[in-house]
Amino acid sequence: MLEVRDVVTSYGMIQALRGVSLTAREGEVTCILGPNGAGKTTLLYTIAGILRPRSGSISFQGRELAGTSAPDVVGRGISLVPENRLVFPHMTVRENLFAGAYVRLGRDRAGVEADLDAMFARFPILKQRAGQAAGTLSGGEQQMLAVARALMARPRLLMMDEPSLGLAPLVVEQIFQIVQGLNREGITVLLVEQNARLALSIAHHAYLLEQGRIAFHGTPSEVSANEGISRAYLGIKGG
Amino acid sequence: MSDYAVSLLVRIGVEAFVALSAYLLLVIGRVSFGQQAFFVIGGYAAGIATALYGAPLAVGIMVGAVAAGVAGALLSAVMAPVGGIYFAAGSLAFGELVRVALLSFHYQVPVGADLTGPAGADGFRGVRALFTGGVSATAFMLAVAGLVALTFLAIALLLRSRWGEAMRMVGEDETASASLGVRVRRVAALTMAGAGALAGLGGGLFVHYATYMEPGHSDVMLGVHSLAYAFIGGLGTPLGPIIGVALDIGLLESFRFLAGYRMIVFGGLVMGLLVVRPRGLLDEVAVHRLSRLVAWGRR
Repeated sequence: MLEVRDVVTSYGMIQALRGVSLTAREGEVTCILGPNGAGKTTLLYTIAGILRPRSGSISFQGRELAGTSAPDVVGRGISLVPENRLVFPHMTVRENLFAGAYVRLGRDRAGVEADLDAMFARFPILKQRAGQAAGTLSGGEQQMLAVARALMARPRLLMMDEPSLGLAPLVVEQIFQIVQGLNREGITVLLVEQNARLALSIAHHAYLLEQGRIAFHGTPSEVSANEGISRAYLGIKGG
Repeated sequence: MSDYAVSLLVRIGVEAFVALSAYLLLVIGRVSFGQQAFFVIGGYAAGIATALYGAPLAVGIMVGAVAAGVAGALLSAVMAPVGGIYFAAGSLAFGELVRVALLSFHYQVPVGADLTGPAGADGFRGVRALFTGGVSATAFMLAVAGLVALTFLAIALLLRSRWGEAMRMVGEDETASASLGVRVRRVAALTMAGAGALAGLGGGLFVHYATYMEPGHSDVMLGVHSLAYAFIGGLGTPLGPIIGVALDIGLLESFRFLAGYRMIVFGGLVMGLLVVRPRGLLDEVAVHRLSRLVAWGRR
Protein backbone atom coordinates (compact mmCIF):
# COMPACT_ATOMS: atom_id res chain seq x y z
CA MET A 1 0.00 0.00 0.00
CA LEU A 2 2.77 2.42 0.99
CA GLU A 3 6.20 2.06 -0.61
CA VAL A 4 9.03 4.24 0.62
CA ARG A 5 12.20 4.00 -1.52
CA ASP A 6 15.61 5.50 -0.72
CA VAL A 7 14.13 8.61 0.88
CA VAL A 8 16.60 11.28 1.97
CA THR A 9 15.33 14.19 4.08
CA SER A 10 17.56 16.91 5.51
CA TYR A 11 17.25 19.82 7.87
CA GLY A 12 19.67 22.25 6.28
CA MET A 13 23.05 20.53 6.30
CA ILE A 14 21.98 17.66 8.51
CA GLN A 15 20.67 14.53 6.86
CA ALA A 16 18.01 13.03 9.10
CA LEU A 17 17.01 10.27 6.69
CA ARG A 18 19.87 8.78 4.67
CA GLY A 19 18.04 6.61 2.19
CA VAL A 20 15.16 4.90 3.97
CA SER A 21 13.12 2.18 2.29
CA LEU A 22 10.13 0.47 3.81
CA THR A 23 6.81 -1.05 2.88
CA ALA A 24 3.53 -0.86 4.78
CA ARG A 25 1.27 -3.61 3.47
CA GLU A 26 -2.46 -3.11 3.20
CA GLY A 27 -4.39 -4.22 6.25
CA GLU A 28 -1.29 -4.69 8.40
CA VAL A 29 0.23 -2.90 11.35
CA THR A 30 3.79 -1.93 10.48
CA CYS A 31 5.87 -0.58 13.31
CA ILE A 32 9.06 1.45 13.28
CA LEU A 33 11.34 1.11 16.27
CA GLY A 34 14.49 3.00 17.02
CA PRO A 35 16.24 5.26 19.49
CA ASN A 36 15.67 9.01 19.90
CA GLY A 37 17.01 10.98 16.98
CA ALA A 38 16.93 8.01 14.60
CA GLY A 39 14.61 9.90 12.23
CA LYS A 40 11.29 8.22 13.01
CA THR A 41 9.27 11.43 13.30
CA THR A 42 11.09 12.90 10.29
CA LEU A 43 10.03 9.85 8.27
CA LEU A 44 6.38 10.27 9.23
CA TYR A 45 6.50 14.04 8.51
CA THR A 46 8.05 13.30 5.11
CA ILE A 47 5.32 10.83 4.22
CA ALA A 48 2.69 13.30 5.48
CA GLY A 49 4.03 16.02 3.16
CA ILE A 50 4.98 18.32 6.03
CA LEU A 51 8.66 17.89 5.11
CA ARG A 52 9.88 17.49 1.54
CA PRO A 53 12.32 14.70 0.78
CA ARG A 54 15.54 15.68 -0.96
CA SER A 55 15.46 12.50 -3.02
CA GLY A 56 13.77 9.13 -3.20
CA SER A 57 10.20 8.13 -3.89
CA ILE A 58 7.10 7.46 -1.82
CA SER A 59 4.21 5.74 -3.51
CA PHE A 60 0.78 5.20 -2.03
CA GLN A 61 -1.65 2.83 -3.70
CA GLY A 62 0.58 2.86 -6.73
CA ARG A 63 0.75 6.66 -7.11
CA GLU A 64 3.72 8.88 -6.36
CA LEU A 65 3.45 10.88 -3.16
CA ALA A 66 6.88 12.45 -2.64
CA GLY A 67 6.73 16.23 -2.93
CA THR A 68 2.92 16.26 -2.71
CA SER A 69 1.59 18.94 -0.38
CA ALA A 70 0.11 18.00 2.99
CA PRO A 71 -3.53 18.72 1.99
CA ASP A 72 -3.25 16.34 -0.96
CA VAL A 73 -1.66 13.64 1.20
CA VAL A 74 -4.54 13.89 3.67
CA GLY A 75 -6.99 13.93 0.78
CA ARG A 76 -5.53 10.72 -0.58
CA GLY A 77 -6.17 8.92 2.68
CA ILE A 78 -3.13 9.27 4.92
CA SER A 79 -3.58 10.76 8.39
CA LEU A 80 -1.05 11.41 11.10
CA VAL A 81 -1.55 11.28 14.84
CA PRO A 82 1.38 13.49 15.80
CA GLU A 83 3.82 12.94 18.62
CA ASN A 84 2.66 14.58 21.88
CA ARG A 85 -0.91 14.46 20.53
CA LEU A 86 -0.94 18.16 19.64
CA VAL A 87 -4.65 18.68 20.18
CA PHE A 88 -5.84 22.27 19.72
CA PRO A 89 -5.97 23.26 23.40
CA HIS A 90 -8.36 26.22 23.33
CA MET A 91 -10.79 24.61 20.92
CA THR A 92 -13.54 22.37 22.23
CA VAL A 93 -13.42 18.63 21.65
CA ARG A 94 -16.11 19.01 19.00
CA GLU A 95 -14.14 21.75 17.23
CA ASN A 96 -11.03 19.57 17.29
CA LEU A 97 -12.95 16.80 15.56
CA PHE A 98 -14.26 19.20 12.92
CA ALA A 99 -10.69 20.38 12.41
CA GLY A 100 -9.74 16.78 11.68
CA ALA A 101 -12.11 16.80 8.73
CA TYR A 102 -10.64 20.09 7.49
CA VAL A 103 -9.82 18.90 3.95
CA ARG A 104 -13.39 17.79 3.25
CA LEU A 105 -15.29 20.25 5.45
CA GLY A 106 -16.11 22.50 2.50
CA ARG A 107 -17.73 19.89 0.29
CA ASP A 108 -19.07 17.20 2.63
CA ARG A 109 -20.60 18.88 5.67
CA ALA A 110 -23.28 16.20 6.10
CA GLY A 111 -20.70 13.40 5.93
CA VAL A 112 -18.59 15.18 8.53
CA GLU A 113 -21.58 15.51 10.88
CA ALA A 114 -22.32 11.81 10.46
CA ASP A 115 -18.69 10.89 11.14
CA LEU A 116 -18.77 13.09 14.24
CA ASP A 117 -21.68 11.06 15.61
CA ALA A 118 -19.86 7.84 14.74
CA MET A 119 -16.76 9.09 16.56
CA PHE A 120 -18.81 9.96 19.65
CA ALA A 121 -20.30 6.46 19.57
CA ARG A 122 -16.83 4.93 19.37
CA PHE A 123 -15.33 7.19 22.04
CA PRO A 124 -18.16 7.93 24.53
CA ILE A 125 -15.79 9.89 26.78
CA LEU A 126 -15.28 12.40 23.96
CA LYS A 127 -19.03 12.89 23.71
CA GLN A 128 -19.14 13.66 27.45
CA ARG A 129 -16.39 16.21 26.91
CA ALA A 130 -17.70 17.59 23.60
CA GLY A 131 -18.05 21.19 24.78
CA GLN A 132 -14.91 21.24 26.88
CA ALA A 133 -11.62 22.86 25.82
CA ALA A 134 -9.33 20.07 24.62
CA GLY A 135 -6.47 21.37 26.76
CA THR A 136 -8.42 20.45 29.89
CA LEU A 137 -8.60 16.74 29.02
CA SER A 138 -6.36 14.14 30.63
CA GLY A 139 -3.43 12.77 28.64
CA GLY A 140 -5.26 9.59 27.71
CA GLU A 141 -8.37 11.50 26.63
CA GLN A 142 -6.20 13.82 24.56
CA GLN A 143 -4.61 10.84 22.85
CA MET A 144 -8.07 9.45 22.08
CA LEU A 145 -9.06 12.84 20.73
CA ALA A 146 -5.93 12.94 18.57
CA VAL A 147 -6.77 9.52 17.13
CA ALA A 148 -10.42 10.46 16.60
CA ARG A 149 -9.37 13.74 14.98
CA ALA A 150 -7.14 11.89 12.52
CA LEU A 151 -9.95 9.43 11.78
CA MET A 152 -12.26 12.32 10.87
CA ALA A 153 -10.29 12.61 7.62
CA ARG A 154 -11.34 9.02 6.77
CA PRO A 155 -7.83 7.66 6.34
CA ARG A 156 -6.89 4.35 4.74
CA LEU A 157 -3.44 4.63 6.27
CA LEU A 158 -3.16 5.88 9.85
CA MET A 159 0.30 6.95 10.99
CA MET A 160 0.82 7.17 14.73
CA ASP A 161 3.83 8.81 16.35
CA GLU A 162 4.56 7.55 19.86
CA PRO A 163 0.97 7.13 21.05
CA SER A 164 2.12 5.78 24.42
CA LEU A 165 4.25 8.81 25.29
CA GLY A 166 3.66 10.02 28.84
CA LEU A 167 0.59 7.86 29.46
CA ALA A 168 -0.14 5.48 32.34
CA PRO A 169 0.25 1.78 31.47
CA LEU A 170 -3.47 1.07 31.68
CA VAL A 171 -4.25 3.96 29.35
CA VAL A 172 -1.52 2.82 26.95
CA GLU A 173 -3.12 -0.60 26.82
CA GLN A 174 -6.46 0.99 26.04
CA ILE A 175 -4.95 3.07 23.22
CA PHE A 176 -3.30 0.00 21.73
CA GLN A 177 -6.59 -1.88 21.86
CA ILE A 178 -8.13 0.98 19.90
CA VAL A 179 -5.33 0.81 17.32
CA GLN A 180 -5.75 -2.92 16.99
CA GLY A 181 -9.51 -2.50 16.62
CA LEU A 182 -9.07 0.07 13.86
CA ASN A 183 -6.66 -2.25 12.10
CA ARG A 184 -9.18 -5.11 12.24
CA GLU A 185 -11.71 -2.80 10.60
CA GLY A 186 -9.32 -2.54 7.67
CA ILE A 187 -7.25 0.58 8.39
CA THR A 188 -3.57 0.10 7.63
CA VAL A 189 -1.40 1.36 10.46
CA LEU A 190 2.15 2.70 10.45
CA LEU A 191 3.21 2.93 14.07
CA VAL A 192 6.26 4.63 15.53
CA GLU A 193 6.75 3.55 19.11
CA GLN A 194 9.37 3.54 21.85
CA ASN A 195 7.55 0.86 23.77
CA ALA A 196 8.96 -1.89 21.55
CA ARG A 197 7.44 -4.83 23.38
CA LEU A 198 3.92 -3.42 23.11
CA ALA A 199 4.40 -2.34 19.49
CA LEU A 200 5.66 -5.77 18.47
CA SER A 201 2.68 -7.37 20.17
CA ILE A 202 0.27 -5.83 17.65
CA ALA A 203 2.57 -5.46 14.61
CA HIS A 204 2.72 -7.71 11.57
CA HIS A 205 6.03 -6.32 10.43
CA ALA A 206 8.70 -4.25 12.16
CA TYR A 207 11.49 -1.97 10.98
CA LEU A 208 14.40 -0.78 13.04
CA LEU A 209 15.54 2.74 12.20
CA GLU A 210 18.99 3.80 13.41
CA GLN A 211 20.74 7.06 12.49
CA GLY A 212 18.55 7.64 9.46
CA ARG A 213 18.87 4.14 8.01
CA ILE A 214 16.88 0.93 8.27
CA ALA A 215 19.12 -1.32 10.31
CA PHE A 216 16.89 -4.39 10.36
CA HIS A 217 13.41 -5.50 9.43
CA GLY A 218 11.32 -8.59 9.83
CA THR A 219 8.35 -10.10 11.59
CA PRO A 220 7.99 -9.43 15.31
CA SER A 221 9.29 -12.91 16.10
CA GLU A 222 12.34 -12.37 13.88
CA VAL A 223 13.01 -9.10 15.70
CA SER A 224 12.68 -10.73 19.10
CA ALA A 225 14.91 -13.59 17.96
CA ASN A 226 17.71 -11.19 17.05
CA GLU A 227 19.89 -11.12 20.11
CA GLY A 228 21.38 -7.64 19.69
CA ILE A 229 18.05 -6.00 19.01
CA SER A 230 16.19 -7.65 21.84
CA ARG A 231 18.98 -6.70 24.22
CA ALA A 232 18.86 -3.04 23.11
CA TYR A 233 15.14 -2.55 22.63
CA LEU A 234 13.34 -5.21 24.63
CA GLY A 235 15.65 -5.20 27.63
CA ILE A 236 16.28 -8.93 27.42
CA LYS A 237 19.70 -9.95 28.62
CA GLY A 238 21.61 -12.09 26.17
CA GLY A 239 22.21 -15.56 27.46
CA MET B 1 -22.27 66.07 20.67
CA SER B 2 -19.25 67.98 21.92
CA ASP B 3 -16.14 68.21 19.75
CA TYR B 4 -14.24 66.41 22.48
CA ALA B 5 -16.64 63.46 22.49
CA VAL B 6 -16.48 63.24 18.68
CA SER B 7 -12.70 63.28 18.64
CA LEU B 8 -12.63 60.63 21.37
CA LEU B 9 -14.95 58.38 19.39
CA VAL B 10 -12.92 58.86 16.22
CA ARG B 11 -9.79 57.88 18.11
CA ILE B 12 -11.50 54.78 19.49
CA GLY B 13 -12.62 53.88 15.98
CA VAL B 14 -9.24 54.45 14.40
CA GLU B 15 -7.34 52.49 17.01
CA ALA B 16 -9.92 49.71 16.82
CA PHE B 17 -8.57 48.98 13.34
CA VAL B 18 -5.03 48.61 14.65
CA ALA B 19 -6.30 46.49 17.53
CA LEU B 20 -8.26 44.24 15.14
CA SER B 21 -5.16 44.02 12.98
CA ALA B 22 -3.11 42.76 15.93
CA TYR B 23 -6.01 40.47 16.87
CA LEU B 24 -6.05 38.77 13.45
CA LEU B 25 -2.40 37.89 13.93
CA LEU B 26 -3.08 36.65 17.46
CA VAL B 27 -5.68 34.30 15.97
CA ILE B 28 -2.92 32.65 13.93
CA GLY B 29 -0.73 32.59 17.03
CA ARG B 30 1.56 35.47 16.17
CA VAL B 31 2.31 38.32 18.55
CA SER B 32 3.07 41.45 16.55
CA PHE B 33 4.69 44.57 17.95
CA GLY B 34 4.74 46.13 14.50
CA GLN B 35 1.18 46.83 13.37
CA GLN B 36 1.79 50.56 13.91
CA ALA B 37 3.99 50.44 10.80
CA PHE B 38 1.03 49.44 8.64
CA PHE B 39 -1.06 52.16 10.27
CA VAL B 40 1.48 54.74 9.16
CA ILE B 41 2.04 53.20 5.71
CA GLY B 42 -1.72 53.32 5.16
CA GLY B 43 -1.90 56.89 6.41
CA TYR B 44 0.94 58.13 4.21
CA ALA B 45 -0.34 56.32 1.13
CA ALA B 46 -3.90 57.58 1.63
CA GLY B 47 -2.64 61.12 2.24
CA ILE B 48 -0.47 61.04 -0.87
CA ALA B 49 -3.43 59.83 -2.92
CA THR B 50 -5.80 62.58 -1.81
CA ALA B 51 -3.54 65.55 -1.01
CA LEU B 52 -0.99 65.12 -3.79
CA TYR B 53 -3.00 63.53 -6.56
CA GLY B 54 -6.50 64.77 -5.78
CA ALA B 55 -8.09 61.36 -5.31
CA PRO B 56 -11.53 61.39 -3.65
CA LEU B 57 -11.52 60.70 0.07
CA ALA B 58 -12.95 57.16 -0.17
CA VAL B 59 -10.53 56.20 -2.94
CA GLY B 60 -7.60 57.61 -0.98
CA ILE B 61 -8.53 55.62 2.12
CA MET B 62 -8.79 52.49 0.00
CA VAL B 63 -5.38 53.21 -1.53
CA GLY B 64 -3.99 53.37 2.01
CA ALA B 65 -5.51 50.03 2.96
CA VAL B 66 -4.24 48.38 -0.22
CA ALA B 67 -0.73 49.82 0.20
CA ALA B 68 -0.54 48.54 3.78
CA GLY B 69 -1.94 45.19 2.66
CA VAL B 70 0.76 44.90 0.01
CA ALA B 71 3.37 45.82 2.64
CA GLY B 72 1.97 43.04 4.84
CA ALA B 73 2.17 40.57 1.96
CA LEU B 74 5.77 41.59 1.21
CA LEU B 75 6.76 41.22 4.86
CA SER B 76 5.08 37.81 4.93
CA ALA B 77 7.50 36.57 2.29
CA VAL B 78 10.14 36.74 5.02
CA MET B 79 8.05 36.32 8.15
CA ALA B 80 5.28 33.84 7.28
CA PRO B 81 7.31 30.74 8.26
CA VAL B 82 8.47 32.38 11.48
CA GLY B 83 6.55 32.02 14.71
CA GLY B 84 6.83 32.66 18.40
CA ILE B 85 9.29 35.10 19.82
CA TYR B 86 11.06 35.43 16.46
CA PHE B 87 7.94 36.81 14.87
CA ALA B 88 7.48 39.22 17.77
CA ALA B 89 11.07 40.44 17.47
CA GLY B 90 10.89 40.65 13.67
CA SER B 91 7.66 42.65 13.73
CA LEU B 92 9.13 45.04 16.28
CA ALA B 93 12.17 45.53 14.04
CA PHE B 94 9.92 46.13 11.04
CA GLY B 95 7.94 48.78 12.93
CA GLU B 96 11.10 50.65 13.85
CA LEU B 97 12.48 50.23 10.34
CA VAL B 98 9.43 51.96 8.88
CA ARG B 99 9.57 54.74 11.45
CA VAL B 100 13.23 55.44 10.79
CA ALA B 101 12.80 55.17 7.02
CA LEU B 102 10.00 57.76 7.15
CA LEU B 103 12.31 60.16 9.00
CA SER B 104 14.22 60.53 5.74
CA PHE B 105 11.31 60.10 3.34
CA HIS B 106 10.78 63.28 1.33
CA TYR B 107 8.24 63.32 -1.43
CA GLN B 108 6.80 66.76 -2.01
CA VAL B 109 4.79 67.98 -4.95
CA PRO B 110 3.53 71.50 -5.63
CA VAL B 111 -0.16 71.66 -4.84
CA GLY B 112 -1.55 75.13 -5.49
CA ALA B 113 0.94 77.61 -4.08
CA ASP B 114 2.59 75.22 -1.58
CA LEU B 115 4.70 72.12 -1.58
CA THR B 116 2.75 69.25 -0.02
CA GLY B 117 3.83 65.76 0.93
CA PRO B 118 5.89 63.78 3.41
CA ALA B 119 8.80 65.90 4.61
CA GLY B 120 10.99 63.55 6.64
CA ALA B 121 11.00 64.25 10.35
CA ASP B 122 8.62 67.19 9.85
CA GLY B 123 5.93 64.74 8.88
CA PHE B 124 3.20 64.94 6.32
CA ARG B 125 1.01 68.04 6.70
CA GLY B 126 -1.94 69.40 4.80
CA VAL B 127 -4.05 66.31 4.20
CA ARG B 128 -7.29 68.26 3.96
CA ALA B 129 -9.58 66.16 1.80
CA LEU B 130 -12.00 65.62 4.66
CA PHE B 131 -12.52 69.32 5.29
CA THR B 132 -12.35 70.59 1.71
CA GLY B 133 -14.86 67.87 0.92
CA GLY B 134 -17.21 69.44 3.46
CA VAL B 135 -17.61 66.33 5.63
CA SER B 136 -18.52 67.29 9.19
CA ALA B 137 -16.60 65.75 12.08
CA THR B 138 -19.76 64.06 13.34
CA ALA B 139 -20.52 62.54 9.94
CA PHE B 140 -16.95 61.29 9.71
CA MET B 141 -17.18 59.81 13.21
CA LEU B 142 -20.35 57.98 12.19
CA ALA B 143 -18.64 56.71 9.04
CA VAL B 144 -15.70 55.43 11.10
CA ALA B 145 -18.09 53.74 13.52
CA GLY B 146 -19.92 52.14 10.59
CA LEU B 147 -16.64 50.89 9.15
CA VAL B 148 -15.61 49.41 12.50
CA ALA B 149 -18.98 47.64 12.74
CA LEU B 150 -18.65 46.31 9.19
CA THR B 151 -15.10 45.14 9.84
CA PHE B 152 -16.20 43.41 13.04
CA LEU B 153 -18.95 41.58 11.15
CA ALA B 154 -16.60 40.63 8.34
CA ILE B 155 -14.03 39.19 10.77
CA ALA B 156 -16.72 37.39 12.77
CA LEU B 157 -18.01 35.77 9.58
CA LEU B 158 -14.49 34.98 8.41
CA LEU B 159 -13.71 33.20 11.67
CA ARG B 160 -16.83 31.06 11.27
CA SER B 161 -15.84 30.06 7.74
CA ARG B 162 -13.50 27.26 6.73
CA TRP B 163 -10.80 29.90 6.29
CA GLY B 164 -11.28 31.05 9.84
CA GLU B 165 -11.16 27.46 10.97
CA ALA B 166 -7.75 27.13 9.31
CA MET B 167 -6.57 30.35 10.97
CA ARG B 168 -7.61 29.18 14.41
CA MET B 169 -5.99 25.79 13.83
CA VAL B 170 -2.71 27.46 12.83
CA GLY B 171 -2.93 29.64 15.93
CA GLU B 172 -3.37 26.61 18.16
CA ASP B 173 -0.75 24.30 16.67
CA GLU B 174 1.05 24.62 13.35
CA THR B 175 2.36 21.06 13.13
CA ALA B 176 -1.03 19.54 13.88
CA SER B 177 -2.65 21.92 11.37
CA ALA B 178 -0.20 20.89 8.66
CA SER B 179 -0.79 17.22 9.43
CA LEU B 180 -4.53 17.77 8.93
CA GLY B 181 -3.97 19.40 5.57
CA VAL B 182 -3.84 23.15 6.31
CA ARG B 183 -1.42 25.15 4.14
CA VAL B 184 0.13 26.91 7.12
CA ARG B 185 2.36 29.34 5.22
CA ARG B 186 -0.40 30.47 2.93
CA VAL B 187 -2.73 31.06 5.86
CA ALA B 188 -0.02 33.05 7.67
CA ALA B 189 0.85 35.11 4.57
CA LEU B 190 -2.73 36.02 3.72
CA THR B 191 -3.50 36.87 7.34
CA MET B 192 -0.47 39.15 7.47
CA ALA B 193 -1.64 40.92 4.32
CA GLY B 194 -5.18 41.28 5.68
CA ALA B 195 -3.95 42.51 9.06
CA GLY B 196 -1.74 45.04 7.28
CA ALA B 197 -4.68 46.30 5.25
CA LEU B 198 -6.82 46.72 8.37
CA ALA B 199 -4.19 48.79 10.18
CA GLY B 200 -3.69 50.76 6.95
CA LEU B 201 -7.41 51.49 6.80
CA GLY B 202 -7.15 52.95 10.29
CA GLY B 203 -4.16 55.02 9.20
CA GLY B 204 -5.99 56.40 6.17
CA LEU B 205 -8.93 57.42 8.34
CA PHE B 206 -6.69 58.97 10.95
CA VAL B 207 -4.57 61.06 8.59
CA HIS B 208 -7.65 62.67 7.10
CA TYR B 209 -9.14 63.45 10.47
CA ALA B 210 -5.92 64.86 11.87
CA THR B 211 -4.82 66.36 8.50
CA TYR B 212 -1.36 65.29 9.56
CA MET B 213 0.83 62.29 10.16
CA GLU B 214 4.46 61.94 11.16
CA PRO B 215 7.00 59.13 11.58
CA GLY B 216 6.32 59.26 15.33
CA HIS B 217 2.89 57.75 14.67
CA SER B 218 4.76 54.52 14.05
CA ASP B 219 5.79 54.59 17.70
CA VAL B 220 6.02 51.12 19.19
CA MET B 221 3.59 52.07 21.98
CA LEU B 222 0.75 52.04 19.46
CA GLY B 223 1.64 48.45 18.59
CA VAL B 224 1.92 47.48 22.25
CA HIS B 225 -1.44 49.05 23.03
CA SER B 226 -3.11 47.30 20.11
CA LEU B 227 -1.91 43.97 21.42
CA ALA B 228 -2.97 44.83 24.94
CA TYR B 229 -6.47 45.72 23.70
CA ALA B 230 -7.00 42.20 22.43
CA PHE B 231 -5.67 40.74 25.68
CA ILE B 232 -7.95 42.98 27.76
CA GLY B 233 -11.10 42.57 25.72
CA GLY B 234 -10.58 38.91 25.01
CA LEU B 235 -9.29 36.61 22.31
CA GLY B 236 -12.55 34.69 21.87
CA THR B 237 -14.23 37.22 19.58
CA PRO B 238 -13.26 40.23 17.44
CA LEU B 239 -15.48 42.22 19.80
CA GLY B 240 -12.69 41.76 22.39
CA PRO B 241 -10.14 44.19 20.94
CA ILE B 242 -12.86 46.77 20.26
CA ILE B 243 -13.94 46.58 23.89
CA GLY B 244 -10.29 46.88 24.89
CA VAL B 245 -9.88 50.12 22.93
CA ALA B 246 -13.13 51.53 24.26
CA LEU B 247 -12.13 50.74 27.84
CA ASP B 248 -8.70 52.30 27.51
CA ILE B 249 -9.45 55.42 25.51
CA GLY B 250 -13.08 55.81 26.52
CA LEU B 251 -12.66 55.32 30.26
CA LEU B 252 -9.07 55.75 31.31
CA GLU B 253 -8.05 58.56 29.02
CA SER B 254 -11.28 60.50 29.13
CA PHE B 255 -11.42 60.66 32.91
CA ARG B 256 -9.46 63.77 33.65
CA PHE B 257 -8.73 62.85 37.23
CA LEU B 258 -6.56 59.98 36.02
CA ALA B 259 -4.51 62.50 34.03
CA GLY B 260 -0.91 61.51 34.49
CA TYR B 261 -1.72 58.13 35.97
CA ARG B 262 -3.36 56.65 32.87
CA MET B 263 -0.42 54.51 31.88
CA ILE B 264 -0.02 53.21 35.42
CA VAL B 265 -3.68 52.25 35.62
CA PHE B 266 -3.56 50.78 32.12
CA GLY B 267 -0.44 48.75 32.84
CA GLY B 268 -1.92 47.54 36.11
CA LEU B 269 -5.14 46.57 34.37
CA VAL B 270 -3.26 44.56 31.75
CA MET B 271 -1.09 42.82 34.34
CA GLY B 272 -4.02 42.03 36.60
CA LEU B 273 -6.10 40.67 33.75
CA LEU B 274 -3.27 38.52 32.45
CA VAL B 275 -3.18 36.82 35.84
CA VAL B 276 -6.94 36.47 36.35
CA ARG B 277 -8.06 36.02 32.74
CA PRO B 278 -5.04 35.20 30.59
CA ARG B 279 -7.09 35.26 27.39
CA GLY B 280 -9.06 38.41 28.20
CA LEU B 281 -12.57 39.27 29.38
CA LEU B 282 -14.33 37.63 26.42
CA ASP B 283 -12.15 34.54 26.09
CA GLU B 284 -13.16 31.38 24.23
CA VAL B 285 -14.94 29.94 27.27
CA ALA B 286 -16.96 33.10 27.87
CA VAL B 287 -17.91 33.30 24.20
CA HIS B 288 -18.91 29.64 24.19
CA ARG B 289 -21.12 30.16 27.26
CA LEU B 290 -22.64 33.36 25.89
CA SER B 291 -23.47 31.74 22.57
CA ARG B 292 -25.13 28.84 24.37
CA LEU B 293 -27.10 31.32 26.45
CA VAL B 294 -28.25 33.06 23.28
CA ALA B 295 -29.19 29.73 21.71
CA TRP B 296 -31.13 28.82 24.87
CA GLY B 297 -32.86 32.19 24.89
CA ARG B 298 -34.05 31.66 21.32
CA ARG B 299 -35.81 28.43 22.21
